[in-house]
Amino acid sequence: MKVSSCCWRLTSLAFTLLFLLISNISFAQEAGDSEIPSDESVISSGETLFNNNCRVCHAVHEQVVGPALNEVYVRRPLPWLQEFIKNSQKVIQGGDEYAVNLYNQFNKTEMPSFDFSNEEVLSILAYVKSETEKGPAVAQTTDAAGGEGVAAQPGSTVDSGFVTAILIALLVVLVLILVVLGILISVVTKYIKQKSELNETDQEIVDQKFSLIKLAKSPGFIWIVTFVFTAIVLKTVIDGLLTVGVQAGYAPTQPIAFSHKLHAGDFEIDCNYCHTGVRISKNANIPSPNICMNCHSGINKVTGATESSKEIQKIYDAIENNEPIRWVRVHNLPDLAYFNHSQHVKVGGIECQTCHGPVETMEVVQQSTSLTMGWCIDCHRKTEINSQGNEYYDKLVELHSETSKDPMVVEDIGGLECAKCHY
Amino acid sequence: MLRNNIISAIVILVIVQIFSSCRAKDDHPGVEYAPNMYHSVPYEGLSQITDESEGKWLSSRIDEKGEYFNTNVNNPHNMNMREPVPGTVKRTEDGYLPYRIPKDSVELAGRILTNPLDSTTEVINQGKELYARFCVHCHGENGQGDGKVGVVFKGVPPYNVGRVKDLSEGYVFHVITMGKGRMGAHGSQVSYEDRWKIVRYVQTLQNQN
Ligand code: HEC
Ligand code: HEC
Ligand code: HEC
Ligand code: HEC
Ligand code: HEC
Ligand code: HEC
Ligand code: HEC
Repeated sequence: MKVSSCCWRLTSLAFTLLFLLISNISFAQEAGDSEIPSDESVISSGETLFNNNCRVCHAVHEQVVGPALNEVYVRRPLPWLQEFIKNSQKVIQGGDEYAVNLYNQFNKTEMPSFDFSNEEVLSILAYVKSETEKGPAVAQTTDAAGGEGVAAQPGSTVDSGFVTAILIALLVVLVLILVVLGILISVVTKYIKQKSELNETDQEIVDQKFSLIKLAKSPGFIWIVTFVFTAIVLKTVIDGLLTVGVQAGYAPTQPIAFSHKLHAGDFEIDCNYCHTGVRISKNANIPSPNICMNCHSGINKVTGATESSKEIQKIYDAIENNEPIRWVRVHNLPDLAYFNHSQHVKVGGIECQTCHGPVETMEVVQQSTSLTMGWCIDCHRKTEINSQGNEYYDKLVELHSETSKDPMVVEDIGGLECAKCHY
Repeated sequence: MLRNNIISAIVILVIVQIFSSCRAKDDHPGVEYAPNMYHSVPYEGLSQITDESEGKWLSSRIDEKGEYFNTNVNNPHNMNMREPVPGTVKRTEDGYLPYRIPKDSVELAGRILTNPLDSTTEVINQGKELYARFCVHCHGENGQGDGKVGVVFKGVPPYNVGRVKDLSEGYVFHVITMGKGRMGAHGSQVSYEDRWKIVRYVQTLQNQN
């Protein structure tokens, strides 16, 4: 009896505990879901908060920078959500297993902390819940855009094919006309011969045979050929000699297929962002990998590509192995000349393109100007000084305008003195 | 006679070909006149010739390497440029000291730093110019996070809404210098003073409607 009552008590205790536990769990799960309000006004204020603070990294139905938030209120209990949204780093540093896993899964991307009240977090969750229940939007705008991009390319190749086709057709027509003309001539000669009522001179004309060899041996022809030949030879030799020591056109293959057309052209990244020395020093400087990583930490493939880019991988390798990227230098003056970028770009206000050509359209950088002394001097003779807002020039401009009516050019401040450029 | 003529024409054509190949094209830098004056004897930054036999045919070097071999073998990776000694302090005329608040102390920076530059139109205009150079491609012209790169990079917040609207000047300065979250550090690209100018302009973007 004693034993059995004890047993009974124990079992009942166990049952109550079990019941409590179960009810507790279901209560917690309920709380995540049911405590979220569903009023229109709360949802709309949640929407504003979400758009202003979260939309850059989260979408309800797809992963952006952070995970998709649909059903997050089912996945996680409410208190956890409130704590995480207010200060995710605190939760992660607190060692919460789920949070740490998620953090690692997202490459340790930090979600900023937000100074929200519990009500505000609730309203955001209310918005997330209402969006979850609506289901994902059907219209796939991104797909449509991608499809267009793909469609455009075959179009352009067809275009050039079309032009060639027209050219070939024209050629065929020309040949046909020639053949017809030839036939016509032979028919007409035959006909005339048959008539045979011609006088002597006419007969001669009809009998005349077109002879290539005779033509080739005529002095007039030989003279013309010799003249054209010598002219071409001379022109090529002189042109060739003039390019000795001039590297215009040099476009070496670089270790990474870096495209200025893509970066400076399509994405409109300013030259100064990468060539940081251009306004403060002699050299424009080639960016080091850490500058590439400002963007390529988050961009490892081209839009539309499924695999990550091999070229971008080379940047990661360089950083991992702590090795510099060995870019091949394109523009290089001889050691005897001194050129300073900040003097021209900052003080002179000259655009990069004046000297480097349309870099923003180049897949591979090419030296497009000659960089000869004549080129420098020519510009110094013609270019006006950019004296606006530069006190240094005030007195000089004053003195200059006393003696001359022409605007002050670089020549007037000594831009042609040998020692300015040679040391 | 004709044969001689043809041979001499061919010889001339070959010579012409040789001359016209002086021109630089693609990977070929072109023929240099007096190459000794073009190649640098001292180490030259941004370029490096690692091939020891380059210019051997006219070399006058005692170590019997090629004349144009231009590589500092004592530096890591044989680089010609040297990094400054660790801890080097750049001296500026304004006497700014190096920035020493650690990357993760952005809240601290937000509380203690103040902008040394006044909010004049001149400073704001200069800030705008700098912003267009260093920030616009991600943050967009009006700071809406809609720059062309920003759209691809994702997760660039607008300045004038939510939490970012109320960030203090010191906080923004720290974010530019050290980076935060997914944004990289821009301290190596923008000088100390220019960063404060950008901050002044960013504040006008934070306060727009
Ligand atoms: C800078 C980008 C960023 C912003 C802004 C951001 N988040 Fe996040 N969020 C993340 C990342 C990344 C994660 C993944 C966890 C981690 O790496 O810390 C995450 C995780 C979460 C999670 C957990 C998701 C899960 O599946 O368990 C919730 C909930 C969340 N964010 C809500 C919000 C809300 C609400 C806001 C706006 C107030 C917001 N986030 C703003 C980047 C961001
Ligand atoms: C300001 C941002 C930014 C910086 C800085 C930057 N890139 Fe890029 N890069 C991009 C963007 C954007 C793309 C194109 C992604 C796309 O098409 O969606 C890209 C694409 C590329 C590609 C093309 C990959 C391929 O397979 O075609 C290469 C290579 C590349 N970058 C190399 C570099 C190098 C090297 C540097 C450093 C000198 C650098 N990038 C710096 C933004 C940047
Ligand atoms: C994303 C960074 C980036 C941007 C933006 C950028 N460049 Fe470059 N630039 C590079 C890199 C990296 C190289 C070295 C590789 C090469 O030559 O292609 C380079 C090389 C060059 C060179 C040749 C250097 C030499 O060796 O002589 C010139 C000239 C140049 N850039 C001009 C410009 C101009 C002008 C712009 C603006 C329209 C610009 N760059 C924008 C990264 C950049
Ligand atoms: C007045 C003409 C001129 C202008 C303007 C100019 N450059 Fe140059 N650039 C040169 C010359 C000349 C060289 C070769 C310098 C040398 O070898 O010492 C050069 C070299 C370079 C180089 C490679 C070597 C180095 O010095 O770093 C880069 C990169 C470059 N320029 C970028 C730019 C950019 C970006 C701009 C615009 C902001 C620009 N340049 C404006 C004439 C110019
Ligand atoms: C597109 C025109 C242009 C070209 C090309 C050009 N320069 Fe200049 N240069 C200027 C201007 C404008 C100034 C005046 C800047 C100023 O206000 O101080 C200047 C100033 C200078 C000065 C300083 C002169 C002084 O008296 O302080 C030097 C040195 C110089 N250039 C060297 C060169 C060399 C070397 C080259 C050729 C590799 C060259 N420049 C090509 C426009 C040019
Ligand atoms: C505006 C700058 C500038 C001024 C002024 C200038 N030079 Fe030059 N000079 C150069 C540049 C740049 C080169 C290199 C040209 C090249 O690479 O083809 C050069 C090349 C030369 C060369 C040829 C060296 C060789 O190896 O090809 C000689 C000689 C020369 N300069 C003499 C002079 C003399 C003498 C004066 C004064 C009357 C003078 N220069 C003034 C910029 C200048
Ligand atoms: C490569 C693109 C890129 C460039 C360039 C860039 N940013 Fe950012 N910026 C971002 C991203 C991404 C974030 C969001 C960071 C996060 O919270 O993860 C950000 C966030 C910020 C923030 C808010 C920080 C916070 O706590 O939420 C400020 C302020 C800021 N950037 C200022 C600037 C300024 C000023 C510049 C120009 C010097 C600049 N950024 C250049 C991408 C960029």
